[in-house]
Amino acid sequence: MFILITGGCKNGKSAIAEKIICSGGSVRFYIATMQPFGKEAEIAINRHREMRAGKNFKTVEKYTDIGDIALPEKCSVLLECMGNLCANEMFSAGCADPAGKIIRDIRKLSDHTELFIAVTSQVGGDGIEYPGETMKYMESLGRLNSGLADMADIVIEAVFGIPVVLKGELPECLY
Amino acid sequence: MILIIGGSYQGKTVFAVSTFGLNEKEIAEGGDAWERLKNAKCIRHFEALVSAAVKENKDPLELTEKLLDAATDVIIIMTEIGCGIIPIERSERIYRELVGKTGCLLAGRAEKVIRLVCGIPSVIKGESI
Repeated sequence: MFILITGGCKNGKSAIAEKIICSGGSVRFYIATMQPFGKEAEIAINRHREMRAGKNFKTVEKYTDIGDIALPEKCSVLLECMGNLCANEMFSAGCADPAGKIIRDIRKLSDHTELFIAVTSQVGGDGIEYPGETMKYMESLGRLNSGLADMADIVIEAVFGIPVVLKGELPECLY
Repeated sequence: MILIIGGSYQGKTVFAVSTFGLNEKEIAEGGDAWERLKNAKCIRHFEALVSAAVKENKDPLELTEKLLDAATDVIIIMTEIGCGIIPIERSERIYRELVGKTGCLLAGRAEKVIRLVCGIPSVIKGESI
């Protein structure tokens, strides 16, 4: 099962993802992709750590090349967040096709998991024309999101904490 | 409380006026004074309350709780703003995050949440209209 969760900033995406993954019984892995650059990143990382505390996650920090992570068969994975991972692949690793690469990496990992949840974000919604690099990033994340949604069994948009189903059926634990 | 959300210029106010039979005088703006907000039938641009609170070093979540305790039947209209590139300006980032958190608080307490896209309403929480 592959689930994609999208939505705007501070709209409850992680809370929904954690609720789904914690309703299952398999071993839980959390793949964290945010690089701890600066105070705000630190605060965000700590906030997410607190949210996950006591939920039995094994945390793997991996900023690029997530396909290299060794996972046991039939585990559950929560991967956050595509916005960071895409930026890391583009700007830290200099990858020319981050969307294609990340989709291949996720496919490789999710082939062996019981449940794989990817959390992404929306960056194309403010209608502002940015400098070339930023536009390229927006395009890459848009392509990545579309590719992942295509692969996904379920796509959920978190809207102010409410799970809105865009594809498939709402998991029972969210009724 | 009923919450109406959506991007800018998606027909949120027009929908609220026609569906709930409001007149202009009954609609307050998020940046209005506390007394006006407390007694309004409808508050639009609730995100302006968030930005006013941030400027005055107040917690918009606390203010929202206080308002909802005082005005249980209000219709609140708020713009979704967190779906763009993360702003470079720190104050804009804080504002954007607080609009998201305030929206989650409002949606959690609302009996009904309606989202407008291109003037088309979808009820995403509660019974249909």
